[in-house]
Amino acid sequence: MTPILQTERLHKRFGGLAAVADVSIDIAAGEIHCLIGPNGAGKSTLFRLVTGTYPPTSGEVLFKGENVTQRKPYERVTRGMSIKLQVPSVFRELPVNQNLDIALQRKLPTAAVPRERARLLGLLQLEDEAHRPAGILSHGQQQWLEIGMALALEPSLLLLDEPTAGMSPQETERTGELIKRLNAQGMTVLVVEHDMTFVRQIALRVTVLHLGRVFAQGNIEQVIADPRVEEIYLGKGHVG
Amino acid sequence: MRGFFGSLNGPQTLGNGRSFWTCFAAALVVALVYPGFSDPYSVGNVAYLLIFTLMALGLSLMWGYTGMFSFGQTAFFGVAGYSYGVLAINLDASGAMTLFCLLGAIAVAALFAALLGYFLIWGRVSGVFFGIVTFATTLALAAFFGQTAGPEWAIGTARFNGFNGMIGMPPLMLPWVGEEDIVLEGNALYYFVLALVLAIYLGLRALVNSRFGNVLVSIREDPLRAELLGYDVRKYQLASFVIGSSLAALSGVLYTAWGQFIPPASMGLPAAAMPIIWVAFSGRQDLTATLAGTFLLLLAFQTITVYSQQYALILMGFVLLVTVLLVPAGFIIGIGRLLAGFAGRDRAGTRQDVPA
Amino acid sequence: MFAEIFSILYQFADVFAFLILAAAGLAIIFGMMGIINMAHGEFITCGIYVTVICVQQGMPLPLAQAIGALSAGLVGIALERTIIRHLYHRPLDSILATWGISLMVTQGMLLLLGSSWRGIGTPLGSFQVGDYTFSTYRLVLFGAAIGVLAGLYLVFMRTGYGIMARATMQNAEMAQALGVRTQHMYAASFGMGAALAGLCGALYAPTMTLIPTMGITFIIESFVTVVVGGANVLLGTAPAGILLAVVRTALNAWYGQIAGQIGLLIAVIVVIRLLPEGVSGWLSRRER
Repeated sequence: MTPILQTERLHKRFGGLAAVADVSIDIAAGEIHCLIGPNGAGKSTLFRLVTGTYPPTSGEVLFKGENVTQRKPYERVTRGMSIKLQVPSVFRELPVNQNLDIALQRKLPTAAVPRERARLLGLLQLEDEAHRPAGILSHGQQQWLEIGMALALEPSLLLLDEPTAGMSPQETERTGELIKRLNAQGMTVLVVEHDMTFVRQIALRVTVLHLGRVFAQGNIEQVIADPRVEEIYLGKGHVG
Repeated sequence: MRGFFGSLNGPQTLGNGRSFWTCFAAALVVALVYPGFSDPYSVGNVAYLLIFTLMALGLSLMWGYTGMFSFGQTAFFGVAGYSYGVLAINLDASGAMTLFCLLGAIAVAALFAALLGYFLIWGRVSGVFFGIVTFATTLALAAFFGQTAGPEWAIGTARFNGFNGMIGMPPLMLPWVGEEDIVLEGNALYYFVLALVLAIYLGLRALVNSRFGNVLVSIREDPLRAELLGYDVRKYQLASFVIGSSLAALSGVLYTAWGQFIPPASMGLPAAAMPIIWVAFSGRQDLTATLAGTFLLLLAFQTITVYSQQYALILMGFVLLVTVLLVPAGFIIGIGRLLAGFAGRDRAGTRQDVPA
Repeated sequence: MFAEIFSILYQFADVFAFLILAAAGLAIIFGMMGIINMAHGEFITCGIYVTVICVQQGMPLPLAQAIGALSAGLVGIALERTIIRHLYHRPLDSILATWGISLMVTQGMLLLLGSSWRGIGTPLGSFQVGDYTFSTYRLVLFGAAIGVLAGLYLVFMRTGYGIMARATMQNAEMAQALGVRTQHMYAASFGMGAALAGLCGALYAPTMTLIPTMGITFIIESFVTVVVGGANVLLGTAPAGILLAVVRTALNAWYGQIAGQIGLLIAVIVVIRLLPEGVSGWLSRRER
């Protein structure tokens, strides 16, 4: 079975700096895959190459077998990727309801929107906030709202960049459960994360990036047990 | 019928409740019977003022709803005015033909807007630069038409006449079943313009409260997020720009046909600043506020202009400055939000956010 | 042959000087604060009128021009202190505010000063190359434009103010954290931008008939130069001036003044389609 997402020898240079070098990874349909690595490892750059925010210097991105390297972000989204950015980016001045509507109307006829919106509000535990502007929600609630907007697009691949940044441990755990629940329903999820507790909670397979390259890849327990991985984390100061 | 009325209301407009629509109906009745209680000069004058509200509504759509502000809407106003002149004079238009000239002139301006918009939007020109490039465009056009005094500056039989402007185009005429064509001036023009304003106001309400309007507002709030929801932001921006500019063009044709005259000054300064002032003062993020505020401001401006045009323009500059310093979201929209706050039952559909 | 070549170079220098002098003040304010000063034309007008009044009072022209530039600068600082500083976190609103001020000033001057004044005449006479006659003063203007560019370079690269200003341009919050008093930087920069606008007016004062709305003569050129130049004054303005002057000179020569202006605008629209961040954005991207 072809992987849902493949990167083939991706390179991204900024001037003299190789932020991502020769990265080839496969994400299988139905898995939760975590990209980990110390700060500056190239995780966020790789994420942006996948979403199409940056064009790669060389290499290819294949989504469901199709080469999408030249596709703009919105074209990738219409093909079934859904993206949550690192900094929560919701429509701050619009009510929560409307934030969801704008995402939901991409897939649903107008008449079907309210029901699905209610379902999502329940899933995200945002019922009480439905009429409030998204900008006044707590950081964690904004993260959930953004995940909800990503889900509203009925994606086949959910891309999450540091979904738990700024969340309390309880919120983090709830986010992990939400992701696992979605995965159990068949969603493929790619997560960029440096909180190792959270990674342990959700992932089976991880890819470790270091200095822009794939440093290690495989089962989470094996990777963590690898002393070289511990070294790059400790060498840069322990993260998470 | 219910569906139609439903589509007029939504989160993107203030005033969705029964009390709002009651006031709206009352205002409409006043507008309809107004000519019966007034003199022809005043009626023609109110028609003249209403003409400009269309340009303001277009700017509200672009600036208030989509977040792209053009300082050069007068460019489309003027281009359409001149186009109407060229078409109508050369075709020696009368009757229904004048209405085709109106549509043709709007098409010319819309094409121009599409071309300019393509370069700006696909060039990812952001906020401030979008304003000043459109501004430079309208000033350059004013300068261009200003030096077309010589007889060589003509298309067919329509002479541009440089600084003095193009003259001699026919007024708009409405063909009437079994009767002679109705020349649109005086009361006839008033009702024609009123019908247009009504139709466009309601049409824009339906538009901004539709799925399309949702996308426009999301682009205003965060273009990147909108793109990451799978929307091709550029197409929506271009559509909004072309619609807004076409409304400026409609204003331009109506103005030209009203006075049978279009000068380059209609595209220069201070004319280019006026739509910005109307819409900023009124409250760009609401169509109703824009419509009402623009009309009131135009009325005040005209009243003072009778005494001194300079004083009137100084006042307009002052209005803009005070609006920006004290009520950046706009005066009329502020009043509207207060009223919406008082009227409890109106609250369900109103925006509860704080203006930018 | 030499005379033809000199003539073309002279035309180019004339257009280039106009673009640079008209744009420098606008570019500084935009570069520092992201604000387009819509009252830019009125600062230029201020420089013109003060210069002409001083000359009519019997002052020598260079002194009058210095006073013209300075008074525009002082007005700029006063404006910044009273109004602009309230609007720094809202760049669009500061543009609208300056536009309102522009409108009030122009119309106020029409009321106070009447529609037109007699100019003071271009000094320095003319010189001849081959069959062509050239105005010497136009060469002075070109020298002044080069001088302004060189002066800006020195100020921003070699002085303490310049280093702090560049830091503020790069990242205002960071600069503030490092002890730069950004409020003072903004006031100084706004004043400097206004003074440069005044200087532009002062320099062109002898070449023009005076009308209160004459600021508009400079507006299109200054705006398009800033748009093409992009946010970085040091990097962008001079190349933008060269690029646009080439376009403008060629079009002026072949099709006349108005074609030059329209062509300038079309060139700008094409340039921003290709280089959305202007010349300076493109140059700094290549450096990276």
